[in-house]
Amino acid sequence: MELISFLAETGSVTAELAAVGENLKKQFGLHGQLLFSQVIGFLVFAFLLKKFAFGPIQQMLDQRKMRIAEGEEKLKRIEKQLAESEKTTAAAIAKANDEAVRLINEAKEGAHAFSEQKAQEAIAQAQNILAKAEAAAKADRDRLTSELKREFGRLVAATTAQVTGKVLTSDDQQRINEETLAKVEA
Amino acid sequence: MQASLKTPRPSETEQPKMRILPTTLALWLIGALPALHAAGDGPPKLPFNAPIVVDLGFFKITNSMVAMWIIAAIVILVAQLATRRISLVPTGLQNLFETIVEGLQGFLATIMGEKLARETFWFFGSIFIFIISANWMGLFPGIGTVGHYMVDAAGNKGEFIPWLRGANADLNTTLGLALVFFGMWIYWSVKANGPGGFLSHIFIYHGEGKGFIKAMLVAIFFLVGFLEVVSIMIRPLTLTFRLYGNIYAGESLLELMLYMGGKWLGWLAALPFYFLELMVGAIQALVFTLLTAVFTSLMCTHEEEGEHSH
Repeated sequence: MELISFLAETGSVTAELAAVGENLKKQFGLHGQLLFSQVIGFLVFAFLLKKFAFGPIQQMLDQRKMRIAEGEEKLKRIEKQLAESEKTTAAAIAKANDEAVRLINEAKEGAHAFSEQKAQEAIAQAQNILAKAEAAAKADRDRLTSELKREFGRLVAATTAQVTGKVLTSDDQQRINEETLAKVEA
Repeated sequence: MQASLKTPRPSETEQPKMRILPTTLALWLIGALPALHAAGDGPPKLPFNAPIVVDLGFFKITNSMVAMWIIAAIVILVAQLATRRISLVPTGLQNLFETIVEGLQGFLATIMGEKLARETFWFFGSIFIFIISANWMGLFPGIGTVGHYMVDAAGNKGEFIPWLRGANADLNTTLGLALVFFGMWIYWSVKANGPGGFLSHIFIYHGEGKGFIKAMLVAIFFLVGFLEVVSIMIRPLTLTFRLYGNIYAGESLLELMLYMGGKWLGWLAALPFYFLELMVGAIQALVFTLLTAVFTSLMCTHEEEGEHSH
């Protein structure tokens, strides 16, 4: 009995729901063809929007993302290369610096040796010139001394001859000369 | 009266705001005053159903359908203009569309994960753009107010039939949108879980536990599954009536305000409600999109994917 009454109640509720549904349908103008038209209309709208807007824009956004990612990748690579290049350059510069220092030192040493050599040569040359000059001066002086002695002896002999009034022999002249010279040199 | 006289005065800093509010209210009430003389005609009543403007027998066209086609045509045209000469460096309309697409997709990705948001974007993007465009288009002057009167055989003026009506102020449209979502929801859910997984997701307990407690949980989850089925079946209806109700109520309110404002000041009476309806239009589009996205996400996003997506 209970089951029958339950089913009867259920049936009555279903009938009420159907009546409400029918009422709603009438009141709100629900219509199969209109509903179908709206569904088709929206699907066409969505399809066209996907074709003309979402598709191309999503593609473009993806492309831009890819370009940005590629750019970032490139940037990283360039930064890495730059760091490596800076490292290599620094090493090259350090090496060049060492080489330059070595060359400068060698040049300095070479220059120093050369300068020393040239100085020694100059000193030797100067000493040579000095010695030559001294020798020449000595020779001149010796020559002048001997000429002076000879002239002096001649003058003394001549003077002696005039004072004494006699003709001096060569031995006399020789002796007078030697005596005079000995006195002068003393 | 004494008490009202003793009401403390607002502070000096609050005065400018307080002055603006009464002025606005006064202006608005002035706009509403002519309703007194117009009250004799009775307020207009927006019909619940969208009137048929073209009847070819087998194919009927309502004014909301016409509005929908116009919205669709405008949106598609603008979209095509935006993407006609699409370039890596965006300008003008392309910028606008890219902002909308990127913003929406990002928003959906926070709900349903990057992958699912991308796969289903054609639907959620279209739904959002369609609803917001339709809601805002309903606010344009002439929609619901420009039309013709039905004339009977005797030449008597009958019901006024507007040529256009807000597309979402028609239950056929909102039910159509909800049914499309429902169909797609079933498709996405079965695709993501398989037919068995789909049913298992609803009826089977997947948590941990042992012995009696587990048996209890399995039984409870199985019974709750039936409630879940009812909830799932009700979803299209709630989506349908929420959107329809809000938009219909908004349009009715605007019509009433225009009527209350009278012939010359109706615009002033309705003005604040236009701003309200702009907001309601956007919120309803967002709510519909958000709810449908959440329903999809609940069924299609697995925990690990969800975590990744956040």
